[in-house]
Amino acid sequence: MSNIDTSRDRVTRMQIFTLTFLRVVIGWHFLYEGLAKLYSPGGWTAELFLANAVGPFSAVYKSIATNHTILMVVDQVNIWALIIIGLGLFAGIFAKKFAILGMGLLFLYYFAYPPFSGYSVSAPVEGSYWIVNKNLIELAAMLVLYWFPSSDITGLDKYLVKEK
Amino acid sequence: MTRFLRRDFLKGMATIPFLGYFGLSFKQNILAEQAKSRTNYLDDLGIDHLDILNYQIPASNAKNYKPIRIGLAGHGWRGPVLLRALGFAHPTWIVENTIKGKPNEEVSLFLDQEDLNLKLTGICDTFSLRAESATAASVNDIHPGAKNGNRKPAKIYASYSQMIASGEIDAVIICTPDHLHTQMATEAAKAGIHVYLEKPMTHSIEEAVALRQVIKSSGIVFQLGHENRQHMSYRIAEELIKKNVLGAVSMIETFTNRNDDFGAWIRPIDKRGTPQTINWKEFLGDTPWQEFNPDKYFNWQRFDEFGTGVTGSQFTHYYDCMNQILHLGIPESVAALGGTYHFKDPRDIPDVMNAIFNYPKRGFTLTYDCTLKSNKFRPMTILGADASMEVGNNLDIFKDSLSKRYTKIVIDPSKPIYNYFPDPRVDGVTSATASAYIKSGFGRTLVERKIVDTTYLHMKEWIDAIRGIGAPSCNIDRGFEETVTYILANISLKEKKMVSWDAIHEKAVLS
Ligand SMILES: NC(=O)c1ccc[n+]([C@@H]2O[C@H](COP(=O)([O-])OP(=O)(O)OC[C@H]3O[C@@H](n4cnc5c(N)ncnc54)[C@H](O)[C@@H]3O)[C@@H](O)[C@H]2O)c1
Repeated sequence: MSNIDTSRDRVTRMQIFTLTFLRVVIGWHFLYEGLAKLYSPGGWTAELFLANAVGPFSAVYKSIATNHTILMVVDQVNIWALIIIGLGLFAGIFAKKFAILGMGLLFLYYFAYPPFSGYSVSAPVEGSYWIVNKNLIELAAMLVLYWFPSSDITGLDKYLVKEK
Repeated sequence: MTRFLRRDFLKGMATIPFLGYFGLSFKQNILAEQAKSRTNYLDDLGIDHLDILNYQIPASNAKNYKPIRIGLAGHGWRGPVLLRALGFAHPTWIVENTIKGKPNEEVSLFLDQEDLNLKLTGICDTFSLRAESATAASVNDIHPGAKNGNRKPAKIYASYSQMIASGEIDAVIICTPDHLHTQMATEAAKAGIHVYLEKPMTHSIEEAVALRQVIKSSGIVFQLGHENRQHMSYRIAEELIKKNVLGAVSMIETFTNRNDDFGAWIRPIDKRGTPQTINWKEFLGDTPWQEFNPDKYFNWQRFDEFGTGVTGSQFTHYYDCMNQILHLGIPESVAALGGTYHFKDPRDIPDVMNAIFNYPKRGFTLTYDCTLKSNKFRPMTILGADASMEVGNNLDIFKDSLSKRYTKIVIDPSKPIYNYFPDPRVDGVTSATASAYIKSGFGRTLVERKIVDTTYLHMKEWIDAIRGIGAPSCNIDRGFEETVTYILANISLKEKKMVSWDAIHEKAVLS
């Protein structure tokens, strides 16, 4: 249960605006990432991303990269999950469920290249990260979306959620 | 009141207009982004189809043939690698590479090799412990296609000549110090025994001329140990050059950059190596007698009577890569400079050297820079008028910013317009020399989406050719071209003069 009651009278308009803004930008980001991959010429694949994985779970990621069939499935699931989660958050439909799924994806991205000291990544990365990186921050933001939903007010969920 | 309710009701669609905007414009934006960061220029380069990418490893079907009896000469650093490529691993190597009961990647690659149906029947190594260690590999039942079990131990011969004369060997692997290569290969060829000879081939041009004659007249199958021939990146490079992707080539750069003791041939001296365990006289071969010297025995590469200098040890690899890609042949003239400026230990070889190989008819020079005091990685580079190519384990092509042919390609000149990046898993190799080896494109390659050891492929090619399937890719003619090329550089370095190649009389001429 959320600590803040999001019913109209308890939450200020600014709070709702803020939460909606957060939901839309994350939705936008996911949706665009998914579509960019979908429209990538010659087809997009996570092969290199997975094959180069570092950290304690790198073996799992690498093994996906080496199995052609599994890799193809993973690529498609990733693209469509990004698109659907993005749409859901953007339009505010099943937003809470999609927030969980989104966190799951980010969690997987995070552990493919965990910014822990000792795991060097050969590709150049912009910025400096230690334990916390942008994936983790986006994940944290989605946790906010989950516990402080706005889609029942400024999203299509409004028409699905029964008025109390 | 109703107005308020209506407004409240519509709030649920607050974000839909933004979604609408997104929907209308996203595609245009994606396409614009893609145009900016376009990585697929294959059409512009005229290489939308590369034949070599369909390459498949030919099946050996070794079971259909009778086993080939293999002899090995020299079981030092490289010897065990060659034995594994043929399916004979030392039990200790298996144990060391098995972690918590699970074979590591190297062992898995080894076990995935095709069983070539061979028998390791003869071993000779002048250091008795190393010969014994090779016998342990010959009977190890853990090997590719391990069903046939019951391997018989290889026989240890007191000398190479005895092994060749035994009549129990069909094919020999020569992996001894360089000064023995010609002598051993000649002896085998004369006995009708097929030869896999580690590079470099000979110590002098005269030896190279004589060896080529012997090999050709014997009719045996000869393969020189340049496993780069099997690496996909060099094969792709060859096709790209054939398709003239770079335009007119004007310069080819090759390098050795090393900064560790192992790379400078200061290698551990095994304390167990004594005049009792080492057959010193046999090691000396045809060279004049000298007293037992363990440093010379274990680090022969530093001494001219045994080794062939940094050119023979190192440049040969890069030369052969470039010969594979560009069909270089022998240069018209060579100039080399350098010396021993940093190392104070006994050594005849330079630790700094530059050599220029001149190919006027081809319109280019090939250069070789070697330093044993810097580990900066410099990729082999082919410079063309329209694009340049960096090639090793990976292959990158960069557009020339002033190319008149590729004007349609608009790209940051530091970004490749073609990239072949096969196997990112080069970790797991700890020493600097070893990782430079893989980065330079000698360890493994990716064929049919599988990682395969290039040395295995190169030896398999030799075995297949012995059985009448295909032909060795690094035959005696390629070996001859290479040998003349590095020996010309060695002469130039010694004499501090330019050296030309008299192709008619097959002689070096000092100018
Ligand atoms: N293709 C490659 O990638 C590659 C890599 C490394 C070495 N090599 C070549 O392999 C050859 C061997 O190099 P290495 O590093 O293994 O040297 P090494 O000194 O470690 O091994 C040479 C072995 O030959 C033995 N030997 C010496 N004289 C002998 C004789 N008369 N008869 C039988 N055995 C004798 C020695 O005891 C030793 O075990 C060299 O020619 C080298 O250029 C090729």
